Amino acid sequence: MRFVGLTGCSAVLQGDMAGAGAQVESPWKRHVAEQLKQRDRVQRQAFEEIIHQYNRLLEKSDLQAVLSERLQTDHQNRHDLSPCADAGRSEALLQEMAQIRIRHQEELTELHKKRGELAQNVIELNNQMQLKDKEIQNSEAQMLQYQRRISELEEECRDLRNSLQDLERANQTLKDEYDALQITFSALEEKLRRTTEDNQELVSRWMAEKAQEANRLNAENEKDTRRRQAKLQKDLAEAAKEPLPIDQDDDIEVLQEDAAEPPGDTSPGRALSRTPSRRVSQPPPGGILDSISNIFGRRRSVSLSLDSTETETHSGVCSEVRLPTTALHTFDAHDGEVNAVCFSPGSRVLATGGMDRRVKLWEVVSGRCQLKGALTGSNAGITSIQFDSAGSFLLASSNDFASRIWTVDDYRLRHTLTGHSGKVLAARFLLDNARIVSGSYDRTLKLWDLRSKVCMKTVFAGSSCNDIVCTEQCVMSGHFDKKVRFWDIRAETIVRELELLGRVTSLDLNHDRTELLTCSRDDLVKIIDLRSNAVRQSFSAQGFKCGADWTRVTFSPDGCHVAAGSADGTLFVWNVLTGKLDRTLDKQHGSAINAVSWSPSGAYVVSVEKGSKAVLWSDI
Amino acid sequence: MADDKDVLRDVWFGRIPTCFTLYQDEITEREAEPFYLLLPRVSYLTLVTDKVKKHFHKVMRQEDLEEMWFEYEGTPLKWHYPIGVLFDLHASNTALPWNITVHFKDFPERDLLHCPSNSVIEAHFMSSIKEADALKHKGQVVNEMQKKDHKQLWMGLQNDKFDQFWAMNRKLMEYPTEEGGFRYIPFRIYQTMSDRPFIQKLFRPVSSEGHAHTLGDLLKEVFPAAIPQDDEQKKYLIVIHGIEPLLETPVQWLSEHLSHPDNFLHISIIPAPSD
Repeated sequence: MRFVGLTGCSAVLQGDMAGAGAQVESPWKRHVAEQLKQRDRVQRQAFEEIIHQYNRLLEKSDLQAVLSERLQTDHQNRHDLSPCADAGRSEALLQEMAQIRIRHQEELTELHKKRGELAQNVIELNNQMQLKDKEIQNSEAQMLQYQRRISELEEECRDLRNSLQDLERANQTLKDEYDALQITFSALEEKLRRTTEDNQELVSRWMAEKAQEANRLNAENEKDTRRRQAKLQKDLAEAAKEPLPIDQDDDIEVLQEDAAEPPGDTSPGRALSRTPSRRVSQPPPGGILDSISNIFGRRRSVSLSLDSTETETHSGVCSEVRLPTTALHTFDAHDGEVNAVCFSPGSRVLATGGMDRRVKLWEVVSGRCQLKGALTGSNAGITSIQFDSAGSFLLASSNDFASRIWTVDDYRLRHTLTGHSGKVLAARFLLDNARIVSGSYDRTLKLWDLRSKVCMKTVFAGSSCNDIVCTEQCVMSGHFDKKVRFWDIRAETIVRELELLGRVTSLDLNHDRTELLTCSRDDLVKIIDLRSNAVRQSFSAQGFKCGADWTRVTFSPDGCHVAAGSADGTLFVWNVLTGKLDRTLDKQHGSAINAVSWSPSGAYVVSVEKGSKAVLWSDI
Repeated sequence: MADDKDVLRDVWFGRIPTCFTLYQDEITEREAEPFYLLLPRVSYLTLVTDKVKKHFHKVMRQEDLEEMWFEYEGTPLKWHYPIGVLFDLHASNTALPWNITVHFKDFPERDLLHCPSNSVIEAHFMSSIKEADALKHKGQVVNEMQKKDHKQLWMGLQNDKFDQFWAMNRKLMEYPTEEGGFRYIPFRIYQTMSDRPFIQKLFRPVSSEGHAHTLGDLLKEVFPAAIPQDDEQKKYLIVIHGIEPLLETPVQWLSEHLSHPDNFLHISIIPAPSD
């Protein structure tokens, strides 16, 4: 073909192009379209059918070739079986056809069978499908259930989360508070630490001061002692120098008797000079007196005893008992009630105890009481006071159920004896100074050992104990039930008891410990002879009235006088020998006198009252 | 422009009647019948010759089978040119049907590319599309397409599905109206008598003065010898898809409508028949 008519075509197209200017459609485009149509006409449409037919014929011939091949092989086979059966060929063909038919029929039946099986399969599958549908329905129902469950759980979860958040918030708050408290705590702790440090520093400073003070006091005591000794030596020297011009025969006899038979109680002159001998047997218990002074004192007392019957107050150291006549010093001892008063064995120091929980120590200097110091540590009012026989310890019982021991030198609290279940009304050293007996409102007496600081014995007295005194083996206690009980320390049993007419408020022993002074609420002061165990004397007076259950009365150091304070503030002094009232001292106290103490030197009497006052009496 | 679609259709469905004959030196078991086929112009040789291969395999010994290749009048046919181009270039002046010789031996390694499978053709096809789009839109359009869009283009060509192909190819043919055309026209000019495989240059569809360039302008620029002088006999035929468009046809329109599926405008320049 080789582009037949191409040139002609282009000529035609050129003609078209000439007219194209007038037309809307571009000539080149129409040219392209027509050319394409032309091309297809030539190249495609002319051959399409031919090639299609050719391909079909090719396929057919291929098929034919395959068939003929097969026929040929068959033919050859048949040739092999029956070499010259040209006549039997059609027969064979028929047979073959029949065989083919049979085969086809077999195939048909086979197929029918298959169809049946398939139908069966279909039914089974349908059944299965129904089953599956049911299962699906079940599953869906379950799924619904689970979904509901899930939503419930989610709800629950949300609630729990909310509560958790609340808890966390609360926890946070608590933690914050805790932190704040922790900070406060640490700040306070820091403050406490600082305070403790300060305190420690103060205590150490205080201790240093105390030590200094003690040293000073010791030095002073030393000086005092030396001075006294010097004085005594001087006196001794003077006495030795004295030619004794006033010695009389009587006295010489006595002296001689004494010299000959020092412990002689059985001497015939004894009865004659009863009073002086008693005086002699009462040396001041002060620690500063040694044997020399004793001997000297005794000698002097004897030497001065010529006028002792008239003027007892002038009878030596131990017989220097002066009846109080005037108030030397009236002072406010405590804030509030003053309950107890006691002289030290040396008579220089006076101790008072009051409801202000303190024990105060006073020094008696030239008729005046100067405050030396205060012993603190008690938690309630002081009820009784006693010095030990050496004057170095002070024992005080207290309303706080305890008894306490201080050292006098440095005012330091040494022991606190606790164990009573009521206020302790009285506490006394035993004579060995190593044991203490205390009596309490809890109706028991307790025996304490100072070495081990434990309560050794507890005795049930049966009644509240107001006062106690001790001899070598015997403890005497005055009770609320009007009885005075006598105890053996070792047996802890009542040896005997004595009933008075009123509640016993006070007990005191004379120096020999042969007589017991009692005071009771029947306003009688009695002397009981311990040997005969009977009331020897009773003292009473117009206006004398026992003011309280703990009103204390006292013997004079020589045992010849008895002093007691009355509820109206009057101090009564009786003479033991005559049984008469010697003195009535009033106008100093404004309220009931609680306690009276006579100094061991005999020179002073101190009375303390329900108000805050204390009065120092003497004869000057 | 209702017939633009018809143009596209005609271009797509262009066919060439072909007769495949086995090379006479090939050893066969039986006589090899020639095989007739209508080849789509826009497709590739190796993509549409499965039947040919099967046909000749029947008569060949299995041990003699190597890669099949085609030759026309001594010229090996490059499978990576579209069939239409091969025909226009080599055989437009011969009588139809087109006689192609089939070889199974002596593969001309110097002239032809191997084509072991269709994926090689696909790769070549897609790279051509990308190259063309790079010229037209700086490659933006083809890059924005998804993998399945690329696949759709290829499957449209492989299965000869015009609608499927053009649904996607339409996008590649769009251009911003204010510019009046593509950036450059993707074209290739083939000629038989040159050693160069083809001519390809950057050429804008619109001139700097603003009017559209025509096919004539293009040739003047690229291959001036193809334009006949006033008094001269026409020496060359300018053939696209087996036809000769007018020189005043705008290249933009040509590119849009007469491009092959690989988006290139393949122009064959063949010497005019002497008679």
